[in-house]
Amino acid sequence: MKRFIVLTKAMTFMHIRNRSTLFWNLAFPVFLLVIYSQIFGTMDVGGTDFMTWVVPGVVVLNILTFGLLSSGTLMVNMREKGILRRLQASPVPAGQLVGSYLLVNVLIAVLQSTIILVFAALVFRIPFTLVGALRAFPMIVLAILAFVAQGQVISGVAATAGVAVAVGQILNFTQMFITDMIMPMDFMPEWIQKVAPYLPAYATVQLVRPPLMDGHLSPDLWPNLLVVAAYILLASIIAARLFRWAPKA
Amino acid sequence: MNGTVIQVDGLSATYGHGANLVQALRDVNLEVQLGEIFGLLGPNGAGKTTLLSCVEGLHKPAGGRVRVGGVDVSRDPTAAKQKLGIQLQHTALLDDLTVAELVEVYAALYQVYLSADQVSRLLHRFDLSENRNKLARRLSGGQKQRLALALSVANDPEIVLLDEPTSGLDPHVRRAVWSIIRELHSEGRTLVITTHAMEEAEALCGRVAIIDNGQAIACDTPARLIAGLDASPVLKTSFDAPLERVQALPGVHTTRYSGQYLEIETSQPQVTLPALQELAIQLGRSIGDVMLRQPNLEDVFLKLTGKQLSA
Repeated sequence: MKRFIVLTKAMTFMHIRNRSTLFWNLAFPVFLLVIYSQIFGTMDVGGTDFMTWVVPGVVVLNILTFGLLSSGTLMVNMREKGILRRLQASPVPAGQLVGSYLLVNVLIAVLQSTIILVFAALVFRIPFTLVGALRAFPMIVLAILAFVAQGQVISGVAATAGVAVAVGQILNFTQMFITDMIMPMDFMPEWIQKVAPYLPAYATVQLVRPPLMDGHLSPDLWPNLLVVAAYILLASIIAARLFRWAPKA
Repeated sequence: MNGTVIQVDGLSATYGHGANLVQALRDVNLEVQLGEIFGLLGPNGAGKTTLLSCVEGLHKPAGGRVRVGGVDVSRDPTAAKQKLGIQLQHTALLDDLTVAELVEVYAALYQVYLSADQVSRLLHRFDLSENRNKLARRLSGGQKQRLALALSVANDPEIVLLDEPTSGLDPHVRRAVWSIIRELHSEGRTLVITTHAMEEAEALCGRVAIIDNGQAIACDTPARLIAGLDASPVLKTSFDAPLERVQALPGVHTTRYSGQYLEIETSQPQVTLPALQELAIQLGRSIGDVMLRQPNLEDVFLKLTGKQLSA
């Protein structure tokens, strides 16, 4: 247990000290919120004020970006630098390493999400409730696991950090716009509206948004939970199979 | 456990498969004894790192068996890994951690939890105390090397495996590292070092295994390996003299011209040299440069493999 804690602490420092990534990760969602408030501030979506509608989407957006880009590339970097190799040579069980890594990712993403919510509450006076935030919390953790798993699949497939970033960006930008995250689904063409509900990004948004908007759990809780859970399982299995301790010779 | 800390029996290792199969190790047999500094000497690509990888549990052998401290590495890798301190060839440091944090983490990987005091003492030993709170990526090359060594013993292992610990280092940093290695040895640890540098093997190792092309072709103390050559020291000069006259000098076995140099193989250089000087006076010429070369492990390697150790 003590080893697990030391390992988690070290990985957290490694991630946090990779300074600029963490800052720019947060700068984008904050920037987006400010721009959106200027453009769509007076609009409403299905009876709700636009900003209240979009903030949960931005929280999920940040997690999406984090999972696909930061998390995946950290692993690829560790592999390329030979750090994973050194860990493999130590008696640490692989399960502890993975557990530690996931915990660090969850901690950092939860911290970022909290910062975004606090910012939104203070600046845009979004009426979050404590109950709502607590109900959203497990959904946020699920979203983190889903996108980190996706990021790990990318890092397993990508030969280098450069490729991982490129693929991550593609998946990031496509999912950002077509899954009811920051752009209401009504604006999307029909075929996207049909396909989107099967995407994990869509399911996570449907889980995170309702508690933050009005304090209640999603009305479509179970179907969306199912999609996210199935996705986490599938991505984890694929990531585990693709996992390499060392770069291909 | 008797005197053998690492036992390698019939070890074979391969990379790739099918048409791309590379035989990296063939039927290697080795024993490393408790408390020795054991060297693996061979050119790049000989299989030294692969051999270490098999001992470290990083590479699955194609055949044979490796035991570390009596534990079969394939059967119980965790227990085997627990006994080792290692430094991999390409030292990977977690760049964004400080020197002190790295020491803590590396020790913790082995469930060894160091107090702040213990960390300080280890850093002091490797002359890194001033850099305690410096991020690893801000260290100089020499500091990184000392840190890598410090990390290899952070968990206080009885067996330490170092892969090319001084490659790419300046001569004076190299000597400093040698000195640390000797110190670690004097504490009763068993060390295994791979190197492609003959001076390093001769300077540090009690016994050396010569590795070439995936095979361990000889294994003994440097002195005995060299004695086995039955070779004599060579006097090398830029003296210009008829070979028959030189051949006739006392102690001389063979003479030949190699490029612009006269090479005289003699079992008694201390007798041959004065005689050579006399000859020079008689001929009215100067000897010029004189170098004396003792047979060394490079000669051993050349004799055993027909190849130069240093390309």
